[in-house]
Amino acid sequence: MSARIMIIDDEKIVGDMAKISLEDEGYAVETFLSAAPALERLKEEKFDVVVTDLKMKGIDGLEVLKVVKEQYPDTKVIMITAFANLDVAIEAIRGEVFDFFPKPIKIKEMKESIKRALEG
Amino acid sequence: MKGIPRKLESVLQKARQRIFGEAVDLKTVFGDFKAVLESNNRALEVITDMGEKLGGEYIFDIIYIKKAYEELYADIRNSVEQFNSLSHSRYPIGNTLDRIDAAIKKALYEEAPAFAGRILFFGDITWEAAREVGGKNYHLSQMANSLDVNVPSGFAVTAHAYDEFMRHNGLDAKIEALNSVGYGDDDLKGIREAISDGELPEPLGAELDGAIEKLRAALGPDAFISVRSSAEEEDSEFSFAGQFATVLNVPLQSDAVRDAYKKVIASLFTSAAVSYQKRLGYAVGGMRMPVGCVPMIDAVASGVAYTVDPATGKERLSISASWGLGESVVAGKVDPDTYVFEKMPALKLAEAKVGRKESMISSSKAGGTEESATPEDMRARACLSDGQVAELAERALKIEKYFRRPQDIEWALSADGNLYILQARPLRAASSGERGKTRSVEEFSGQYRALVHNKGNVVQKGIAGGKVFVVKTVDDIEKLPKGAVLVAKNDSPQFVRAMPFVSAIVTDTGSTTSHMASICREFKVPSVVNTREATRALRDGQDVTLYVDDDGNYAIYDGLVDEILELIERTGRSLEELYEFRKKKYIMRFISPLNLVNPLADEFTPEKCNTMHDILRFMHEKSVQGLIDASMKAAGKGALKRLEIAIPTGINVIDIGDGLSDSSGSTVKLEQVQSEPMRAVLNGMLRPGAWHSEAVDLNPRDFLSSMMRMQDLTASVDQSTYRNVAVISREYLNMTLRFGYHFNLLDCYCSEKAANNHVYFRFVGGATDISKRSRRIRLIAEILKEFGFISSTKGDLLIARLSHIEKAEALRVLDMSGSLIAFTRQLDAVLGTDSDVERFKQAFLAGNFGIHS
Repeated sequence: MSARIMIIDDEKIVGDMAKISLEDEGYAVETFLSAAPALERLKEEKFDVVVTDLKMKGIDGLEVLKVVKEQYPDTKVIMITAFANLDVAIEAIRGEVFDFFPKPIKIKEMKESIKRALEG
Repeated sequence: MKGIPRKLESVLQKARQRIFGEAVDLKTVFGDFKAVLESNNRALEVITDMGEKLGGEYIFDIIYIKKAYEELYADIRNSVEQFNSLSHSRYPIGNTLDRIDAAIKKALYEEAPAFAGRILFFGDITWEAAREVGGKNYHLSQMANSLDVNVPSGFAVTAHAYDEFMRHNGLDAKIEALNSVGYGDDDLKGIREAISDGELPEPLGAELDGAIEKLRAALGPDAFISVRSSAEEEDSEFSFAGQFATVLNVPLQSDAVRDAYKKVIASLFTSAAVSYQKRLGYAVGGMRMPVGCVPMIDAVASGVAYTVDPATGKERLSISASWGLGESVVAGKVDPDTYVFEKMPALKLAEAKVGRKESMISSSKAGGTEESATPEDMRARACLSDGQVAELAERALKIEKYFRRPQDIEWALSADGNLYILQARPLRAASSGERGKTRSVEEFSGQYRALVHNKGNVVQKGIAGGKVFVVKTVDDIEKLPKGAVLVAKNDSPQFVRAMPFVSAIVTDTGSTTSHMASICREFKVPSVVNTREATRALRDGQDVTLYVDDDGNYAIYDGLVDEILELIERTGRSLEELYEFRKKKYIMRFISPLNLVNPLADEFTPEKCNTMHDILRFMHEKSVQGLIDASMKAAGKGALKRLEIAIPTGINVIDIGDGLSDSSGSTVKLEQVQSEPMRAVLNGMLRPGAWHSEAVDLNPRDFLSSMMRMQDLTASVDQSTYRNVAVISREYLNMTLRFGYHFNLLDCYCSEKAANNHVYFRFVGGATDISKRSRRIRLIAEILKEFGFISSTKGDLLIARLSHIEKAEALRVLDMSGSLIAFTRQLDAVLGTDSDVERFKQAFLAGNFGIHS
């Protein structure tokens, strides 16, 4: 069974590009433009990795991280953001994401990170 | 002058000059010059970064693009101000910046297009109208306006006009409804019928009639035109070959042209076309359809030319020809005459074959076209004379050079013996050596039973395995199971609907120049055509494995052969197919391509700048010019001194302070060069073998002519008049060198204080072959990396920088850079494969410059 990856980002192009690149590796990928429907989906299906944008309207990345950690401890979270600055990085580390990528994200690096997340 | 803002400073300087006469302070000019270069460099780095981030290896979002562009704009704005100061605002480059900025902001912030034109004659189509007239029209107009290749010139009916038509007939609302509830083939038929029954809104109708009148006046009342699609994406990687209607032989009468126009735009809504659009991310009605109206050539013969071999990417130009109109060739209906040319080192005919040419399509007197059997005596006769074939090949090459990418060209030979180019578009070809060594078909043919082997022509290489599904009628396409190998008697552009499902296509007839072939290449579906026996040799439902190797040999094996299927590289959808990706990437079109290549040409003006890169190049060149002018004024003609050394670099030296030990005289010898960085670079260039791999011939005239001969491939101007310039002081060097289409910039500050030192290297290499260009860049980048440079490359632009280095280290690096600049001049012809890059890198690092060893 192939690994399940969830992508949450309010910009369509990010999800689309991530989907194409990751499907290339054989993963099953689902994309969401906001966190609310994504969290609903998590109730239905187990995902191995959730890649989420940090800054989003409504439920933001940090909240997604909190929910996943509490309710789906086996699921790893990777945080992505267009506004990478030191404060956010520290916050993310404290929040124990599996990995953290500022945008633009090098596809090769993301693939490697997900591979590691699936192994761990 | 510290503490006084720059602008004020320059105003004061100008005032000073006016009061005190022409005493030009060279050091100030040089300071301005450096300031322009610095901002230019920063801007170029942003451009390179954007190119890299949008190149397909990164996931980006609109925030990045907007941020990066803001930075880029600020840098260029800064540069323009300093440039204006340096050049005393002689050039209206600020206007150019505003123009291009407006186009980019429009694309970025997606304002509604302000474009209101409905009809544009080719002569009036400018760069900004490209989207509105569509790729095909734009390409044709560029060729008609700028190249001497005989393109029939007509007019475009714009995307804006299309919008008006659709709105006027209530179709935009209808289509929106379809998109929200879903649609079937009948709905699409309904749209097509509504278009056919619709009417042109009056302003458009009137303008169209006016254009028809104009053409009648030019061509005569009995002339005919062809009405062709020119959809938005048709100049991109995706050709939509054969998907849209072309109406040939339309009389120059209002009703006939209106009907033809409606027919063409209706073709946006056929099932096959909609399928293709969907694959590229367009909803129904998302694409707009500009249309082109072009004088019809009464063709005695016509065909297609490809400037590279599309199946393998190799540097071979092919021409196919058949009697009558080209539709028979592009529809894959005939076996045409074919000619293949080797391109390197010069165009040479390698193969010629007369085809069967069983049928032909001709214009019918009443309008329209008719298909007929080719008369017996014409079948075995070649359509083109040797002279005509050669002429066509030359023109095709010219077109490829102009657009700087491989081209797919349609041509026609008229009754009065003139060759016309009817269309040219980017050719999607496999790049050679893309995947590294793969195994050859011969290796497998011993072990497995081949049902079909090397018959016919390969359209697209690759590997596929699946069940044979024989397609007899168009309806069969609906029933295709996923992963099937489509087998059919004839090829058809309708097969595009099968692309998402099919793993390979094999046909009995057809040609590599048909529309279906183009589509298979675009979607990388392995295909073989013209096999003559596929429908006989392969059974419906049979498991088969198709393997086409890198050399174009293929076999279809009985059963699913695991050993071969394991070699398949997963090619899911590529990023290029993603609409959002292409749309965002589109802004790079206004930013990175370099159009202004030749500073001595008439076109080197602010008006001809189309991109930010053009603006930077313009300012750089004019700044160098400004510096040269200032130097000449400051010290009489003697300021620009020709460097005389054993190799013909054509370098002229400007000394701004202690760069030369003896400043008298109009020439400079190596011993007089005091500039430490300059000496280091020259030492490197003079290293035995770096400039020339043969033994050094002492006759200077021979050097010069051999250097010019080598550049004749791409040069259209006398190279010896272009001035390569080195601005030097004891510790500083700024050297711009141009050899053919290689453009090097080396800027270095080399003092006792490491913190102040830098070496900055910029290389742009631009012959037409993209894969060679990027190999050359890769070679240079890898060598520079060995020396600690941090570099970025995008396409054929490389920027590398080394900072905070000790003087001794800097000089060592400069020596190597000199050798590298010299060395790379010789690499034009030899970087044939990826393994050559590694080989030459190792050779260079070992000090072995011999490329023929």
